[in-house]
Amino acid sequence: MDIQILIIEDDPKLEDDSLIWELKDKFGEKNVRFIPSPKEGLNFINENLHINIVVLLDIDFPANEMDGHQVLAEIRKMSHLIPIILWSGVNENEESFSDFINNHAFGFISKTATSEEALKIINKAILHLESSIDNSIEDWIIDNDEDKDKPIYFTGDGRSYSLNQILNEIRHQTEVGKSFATKLNKLTIDLLLRNKENLND
Amino acid sequence: MSDVKYIKFNFDVSAYRLLGRELITDRITALFEIVKNAYDANANEVEIEFIKVSPKSNESKIIIKDDGIGMKLSDIQSKWMVIGTSSKRRERVSPAPYNRKVVGKKGIGRFAVDLLGSKLTLKTKKKGEEEWIFLETDWSYYSKLETSQLELPFDKKKEFFTDIENKYWFSKGAKNGHGTVLEIEDVNDEWTELDIKRAHKELSKLVSPSSQIPHKHPFKITIKSDFPGAEKIDVKPLSVIEYATVSIDIKYDDVSGKQEIIQYENGELIKKEVSSRAFGPVNFKLYYFNQGAKRKFKEKSHLEIDGIKIYRDGIITTPFAETEANIEKQKDILGVDKRRYSGFFERINSRDLLGFIELTDEKNPRIIEATNRQDFIDNKEWRELKLFIIEHIQQIEKYLKHQRESIRNVTKSDLGRADAELKSIKKTLANVKKDATPEVKAQLRHIEADLGKLQGTVNKSMRDYAKLEEDSKQKENLYFSLVSLQTYASMFSHMTKHTIGHVLRDAEYFSKHFPNKKLNQRFQTISTRIYNEFIALRTGVDFMLKYAQSDNEIEDINLYDLLDNLFFNIYDDVFKKEAISASLEIKNNLILSYNKKALEDVFDNLISNSIKALNNVKDKKIKCSGIVDKNELILYFSDNGIGISEEDKYRIFDIFFTKTADQGGAGIGLYMVKTRIEAMHGTIDVIDNEFKPTGATFKITLPFKK
Repeated sequence: MDIQILIIEDDPKLEDDSLIWELKDKFGEKNVRFIPSPKEGLNFINENLHINIVVLLDIDFPANEMDGHQVLAEIRKMSHLIPIILWSGVNENEESFSDFINNHAFGFISKTATSEEALKIINKAILHLESSIDNSIEDWIIDNDEDKDKPIYFTGDGRSYSLNQILNEIRHQTEVGKSFATKLNKLTIDLLLRNKENLND
Repeated sequence: MSDVKYIKFNFDVSAYRLLGRELITDRITALFEIVKNAYDANANEVEIEFIKVSPKSNESKIIIKDDGIGMKLSDIQSKWMVIGTSSKRRERVSPAPYNRKVVGKKGIGRFAVDLLGSKLTLKTKKKGEEEWIFLETDWSYYSKLETSQLELPFDKKKEFFTDIENKYWFSKGAKNGHGTVLEIEDVNDEWTELDIKRAHKELSKLVSPSSQIPHKHPFKITIKSDFPGAEKIDVKPLSVIEYATVSIDIKYDDVSGKQEIIQYENGELIKKEVSSRAFGPVNFKLYYFNQGAKRKFKEKSHLEIDGIKIYRDGIITTPFAETEANIEKQKDILGVDKRRYSGFFERINSRDLLGFIELTDEKNPRIIEATNRQDFIDNKEWRELKLFIIEHIQQIEKYLKHQRESIRNVTKSDLGRADAELKSIKKTLANVKKDATPEVKAQLRHIEADLGKLQGTVNKSMRDYAKLEEDSKQKENLYFSLVSLQTYASMFSHMTKHTIGHVLRDAEYFSKHFPNKKLNQRFQTISTRIYNEFIALRTGVDFMLKYAQSDNEIEDINLYDLLDNLFFNIYDDVFKKEAISASLEIKNNLILSYNKKALEDVFDNLISNSIKALNNVKDKKIKCSGIVDKNELILYFSDNGIGISEEDKYRIFDIFFTKTADQGGAGIGLYMVKTRIEAMHGTIDVIDNEFKPTGATFKITLPFKK
């Protein structure tokens, strides 16, 4: 599974931080991207919804830019699949944290954290991505290329979607994509409950 | 009473209740929403009755009764029992002849009932109908079901919410009777006397004092309770604003399309007309109360002076319903009290202000209450509106400052006049004494002695007053350095955190990977970086110490001498070494009365800043020139260095912002320049560069004390 680690952070000093080196060593130079402007960060996400992204997001930005709270909310408008880890030196109070929770921030890394501490949370986020529905579908397609164009989902208004198309719908968080994901989960539970299928370890 | 029948809700009650809890977070907001619904139903009167609510008993009840249009059974079926009825969103006015602008939104008033208590009996009737309709809903039953639905096993057949029967029946009533009564039993929380008083205070803000509710169709709110002294309270809109020290009343003119604003000019608040702003037209009444005025207001109204509220079509927007009794903890939605630097001493806050912003649904559609009714949606228009309000508070602050100053001047000149008059009386007396009889002379000597004492007192007063002024100025300076120190401390800890993080991760990386020939370049970077981080940290600590030691002594300074010393003495060697040509175009008779060290720091920092900016430039220049304009001294400080990019202009004065980290820049210099100048009540800005093609020019304005 390919992963892009996107760091949205306005302090240029951090672009060459040891943590970034560790990330580049681990995930490859081209898979770690440092973007200093929140707006450009959002553009990048918007254009790359089809790939797996983990975001490391600073909270404090210059006054004329969006701050971390707003960026988080903007990303959530686009997708609920992207794990967003806040990376900040600010001591946030409870009140301002509540919107981080409401917008499902994945975790929090302090600017004083060691690389090891930071990597723990980033790895968790990646694990979270790996076990998501869209990535399971993608893995399936990689293993069984012949299945990718088979129609597997039919909507009430007569449209049909292939496995590949449905993957795209989920990643772009369209209504069809979201509804498919919910139904798929329900179906699985239903099958398990009615003993139609067994999940074995 | 007729036979009992049953009716079912047409939506998932669990979702409804969940939604309700999100939308209505507190009981004051709940009351607000129910009362707003009564308003929308053309009620003339709403009565809120609390029965046995403190201490909470089994018979506790809240009854909310209105004489509005009421509902028919078909209304109940198609509206009350259906979620998200859209009739309110479609119809923006209530039925004729009232034609009230509808203030309740999205039909969320019903959610409010659930928050107040678990059992509801709704009683309603339209005019002309024969019977009252009664509908009973027991929310606790839904709660139980909600819990059981989440219990395992899932496959067991369970009831759906929509299966639950809600009792309804009819009862004869007078043909003319109409309205809606919500009888809420099993009240959730205890309501103490204080809670009810607060409900009163908050509800009194519901209708704007300048609202145009016609006498023919009044809207009265009454609160009843068992508490002595609060058996029957008429809730009336605020009206005791005649005590205000300063009043502002600005309007929007529909005909000309112009928005009035207030601006402070030459000692007065002047009304001006401008085009309307992004948030649309507003009417705005703003009242400032000084200590005396506050006391009178409170005596008369028993209400708090608690800031500026926003009304839409005459009814308060819900974000201003305060559930919090403690004023200090209340929401500061407009950010009035969060302002820090806008004139430390002149700053006024919500406790000194009452204000009413009047919006309309039609003309200010982009000012939107957040769905949880606790704030507004953060958009450009809302930010503009906040700014508009703060700007007006600032105008009042400027006006008050001017008033205080002119009172001081009057006192001073009164003392001066008294002194002169005394001298003239003495003179007259001396003349009279020459020709007087011995007895009169003896008398006059007494008077002379008294006059002498009096003159002594006046002189002492003048000296004391001068000393007092100086003291308060020193205090003011001290406060300024405290405030900027506070900011500094918070920024400093922020910076320290970053430094610690960098160094920690660098050290971690080093110890984990060393030795490794491939990474030698990185190890090199790490060691340089740790060195630089610590240099920056040291500068920060040094600066903090400097702050701690800085004195606030004020003295007369010849600006030319000060700059001449810096330019051609202290920096002479550096300028020669760097081949910088420095020039000073400033009159040598300008005497400023400031703290010398602070003023030196300002120019010291500007010069060293310029030297860095000139690093790779040919034909290096630094120039400082000054002009006197009325009561101000304007200085231009320019170099022809690399200049400041457009994007950096706004943050160049931010602490720890630096573009010269490789030359040991810690980002403190310009921050200090700015805070020092602000402490002198001056300003500094980056303006168009004087030298072309590149360079930077700072414009410094200092109030000139002649």
